[in-house]
Amino acid sequence: MRFLRCTALALVGCVFLSWLHPRRTMRAAQVPADPGATSHSAPPAVPAVTWSRQIAPLVYQNCATCHHPGGGGPFSLLTYQEAFRHGPQMAQVTQSRYMPPWLPAPGYGDFLGARRLSDEQIALIRRWVASGMPEGDASIAPPPPHYDATWQLGKPDLILTIEHPYALAAGGTDVFRNFVLPYPLTATHYIRAMQILPSAPQVVHHANVLIDRTASFRRRHPADWEDGIPGMELELDAGNTFDPDSHFLFWKPDTPVLEEPAGMPWRLDPGNDLILNMHLKPSGKPETIGAQIGLYFTPEPASKHPMLLELEDDRGLDIPAGDRSFQVQDELELPVDVDLFGIYPHAHYLGKELEGWAILPDGRKQWLIRIPDWDIDRQSVYRYRTPVFLPRGTVVHMHYVYDNSEDNVHNPNTPPIRVRAGNRSVDEMAHLWLQVLPVNTAKGSPDPRLLLEEAWMEHRAKRNPGDLIALYNLASALAGLGRYAEAAADYRQVLAANPRDARTLNSLGAALENAGDSSAAEKEFTQAIALGPDNCDAQFNLAELELKRSQFAQAAEQFRDLLRNCPADAGAQSGLGVALLGEGDSASAEAEFEHALDLDPANFTALYHLGEMAIESGSPERAVEFLQKASAQRPDDVDTRERLAMAYAQSGRQADALTQLRAAVQLSPGDANLHALLSQVLSAAGQLQQAIEEQNQALHFEPNDADGWNNLGVLEARLGHTAAARADFERALQLAPDHAQARANLARLPRQ
Amino acid sequence: MAWRATVFLLGCLSMVARAAEPFGTDLNGRPIEQIAPAGAKAVVLFFATSDCPISNRYIPEIERLDREFAPQGVHFWWVYPDPGDTAAVVRRHDEDFQIHADQVLDTEQRLTRMAHATTTPEAAVFLSTAAGLHEVYRGRIDDRYLALGQERPAATRHDLELAIRAALDHRPAVKPGGPAVGCSIVPRNAP
Repeated sequence: MRFLRCTALALVGCVFLSWLHPRRTMRAAQVPADPGATSHSAPPAVPAVTWSRQIAPLVYQNCATCHHPGGGGPFSLLTYQEAFRHGPQMAQVTQSRYMPPWLPAPGYGDFLGARRLSDEQIALIRRWVASGMPEGDASIAPPPPHYDATWQLGKPDLILTIEHPYALAAGGTDVFRNFVLPYPLTATHYIRAMQILPSAPQVVHHANVLIDRTASFRRRHPADWEDGIPGMELELDAGNTFDPDSHFLFWKPDTPVLEEPAGMPWRLDPGNDLILNMHLKPSGKPETIGAQIGLYFTPEPASKHPMLLELEDDRGLDIPAGDRSFQVQDELELPVDVDLFGIYPHAHYLGKELEGWAILPDGRKQWLIRIPDWDIDRQSVYRYRTPVFLPRGTVVHMHYVYDNSEDNVHNPNTPPIRVRAGNRSVDEMAHLWLQVLPVNTAKGSPDPRLLLEEAWMEHRAKRNPGDLIALYNLASALAGLGRYAEAAADYRQVLAANPRDARTLNSLGAALENAGDSSAAEKEFTQAIALGPDNCDAQFNLAELELKRSQFAQAAEQFRDLLRNCPADAGAQSGLGVALLGEGDSASAEAEFEHALDLDPANFTALYHLGEMAIESGSPERAVEFLQKASAQRPDDVDTRERLAMAYAQSGRQADALTQLRAAVQLSPGDANLHALLSQVLSAAGQLQQAIEEQNQALHFEPNDADGWNNLGVLEARLGHTAAARADFERALQLAPDHAQARANLARLPRQ
Repeated sequence: MAWRATVFLLGCLSMVARAAEPFGTDLNGRPIEQIAPAGAKAVVLFFATSDCPISNRYIPEIERLDREFAPQGVHFWWVYPDPGDTAAVVRRHDEDFQIHADQVLDTEQRLTRMAHATTTPEAAVFLSTAAGLHEVYRGRIDDRYLALGQERPAATRHDLELAIRAALDHRPAVKPGGPAVGCSIVPRNAP
């Protein structure tokens, strides 16, 4: 199945808008004096405000992360002399709340890294400036913070560099540019932190990093991707598995390192690209824009899998020229409990008021964010200090207001013109992205992210029946949930609009096959293949179908054909191995599995079969090596754990074998065979009483298993429980009167 | 709006007699005694600071105006009123921004006071006559910035250019359409 997704995270955008409040002008003379701070009035009611005592700590805490040499701010504020030089401005911009940059209104969401100064802090700066900006006793000033201009977490495990820097002109309008950085490694890695080092941080307003799982953007721009592609927003193809982009990889100058929460690293696979979307502001001099992305790995895969959801109303954006209060909205009901980790509102230059809130199932309104004075230059991802719990049945709302009048100074069109949704800075957008982590998921229930995807895409498809991407994604979510007939119906709707869409034909085939209609599936796969030689997924699915039908020769031929079109397809390589194995050619199969691992060291099929072949050839240590890796790929695969337990047992590692079998029993508690195996390993380890318990469990689920009763009898006999053993052997003989072993065992028991 | 009221050329701002002391120094420390070279019809002072981002973003625009109006007898000076902008700092700034212009280190802020400038970037236009220099315009370059955080994608009204053209045509100058936006010039009692 392939999932098509329309934007992985929209990207960065554009602009701003803050003309709501008339600002004060910036001259020193206009800074209102604070009578309490002047030394001329009687005895001062309050102590003088000095750099050393009050202002330096405030500046170091709130301003210096950008305003230091080499930082993102245009000048440093680390010394008294520097602060003196910019003092009147500091008073102005803090008073107007232009600085520190922070858009959300207080009381509408408790966010990490909130930069809003208190009224008291602002008054302090004002008093300091009004009183002549005294330094005070320099000996009591705190030491200025130290900033390392390079990697803040030490040397990264991997550094990606823009190969062809971009020449930014000295003047002109803002620039939005997308740089593609291919992931060069041949193994999957998990990323716990990322730092972006722009070569000219002062002109980089902010940046978004997107993961392009299928290198689709690069393939769409084969001639010029290395030079960077202009554009505010991207549309990426998310590939053929349900793997929703789940992280906000948003960078701004005051937060150079993005560290993911515990258990939530993101993943890079061979063949992935990172796309760095930068918002650049000309500085007055020509700049060469390069950047490095430093990645810090963790060996642990994610244990928590968040997802990004989007509310949007781009279709509703049709803003008449001159309209100063154009409104759009969207809402989405959550089908599962979630924790909301972060939120990313996004509009372009006409956005004015951006709001997001939730109506909880009990009817209460919970604000998620409110930005009363939108400014795209200051856009950001906002992460909650504590994740916000939103129970199932919560309805999340988005409501945005736009100003397309000439009073909006950020209006890119003079005079204003009618504006619709689009990718250019003169177009508009209405997006509200949410990062949610499903919680309280009952054991055995479907992947809650699929339920979220279903709810999201169903909502989108209902709002806009012509949204084929939503319909396709809905069908794929349904297929993922095992609702194949519904999925097939939706795929057919997509095909009704676009009958020659090979991807949808292939997905329909997969749904039909899963629904048990393999001949209909074969027809769809064949039709997809006929549309072009490069439909490797359809070829793969057809070959797998032939494998299931034990048509090994046909399957091998199909896989070989596929590999001619897609030579780096490790799945096809290992599939060929399985086909050869079916034909009885173990040696060739083994070679194909090895080749698959050359292409992808994490290929599960190859690891599993090589492990199994190693067990059969009497090389349990080698088997352990393969099966451990296979199990790491699919920790919930019971069969792999069972094989791994077998390999451990053959290697004399009984304790490890027991661990695997116990894990397998936990995953599949009603599997009689697993209990019986566990019983055998316990028996070999001398733990007879536990072995008896497990064998009883096995017989609980399969009471007519004559061998099982015989085995239980043997365990009872070894513990000297003669009567119990006798009853077990007799039960075995009742079920299978010719069970020779049970009869012999019965005869061996001491006579009563 | 009151800002748009026109004023008559000679009644407008102030008339400046030749300074008794040098206007400032050049980057080699030499005093600048004369800012209106022989034959100049008008003089433009562009008040700048090396580390003010808005001031720097106007560099291409000032260079454009210089290129356009220098052949018509308009002389441009880049004036640095902040004592922190020493010759070495400004030289480095010139290199970074590729500036080739006549520059004054206004260490004593005489030009700043003469033009009544309060902000960088800000410009003043003087007519050069036999009687001395007459200030006919002082204010913003254009309307791209209305306040900090209120920035148009591009300017729609080029106040300084309009003022220069008016001066050359001997028409009344217009007042700037709004305040200069950028960095305050700190009066010369710096530490």
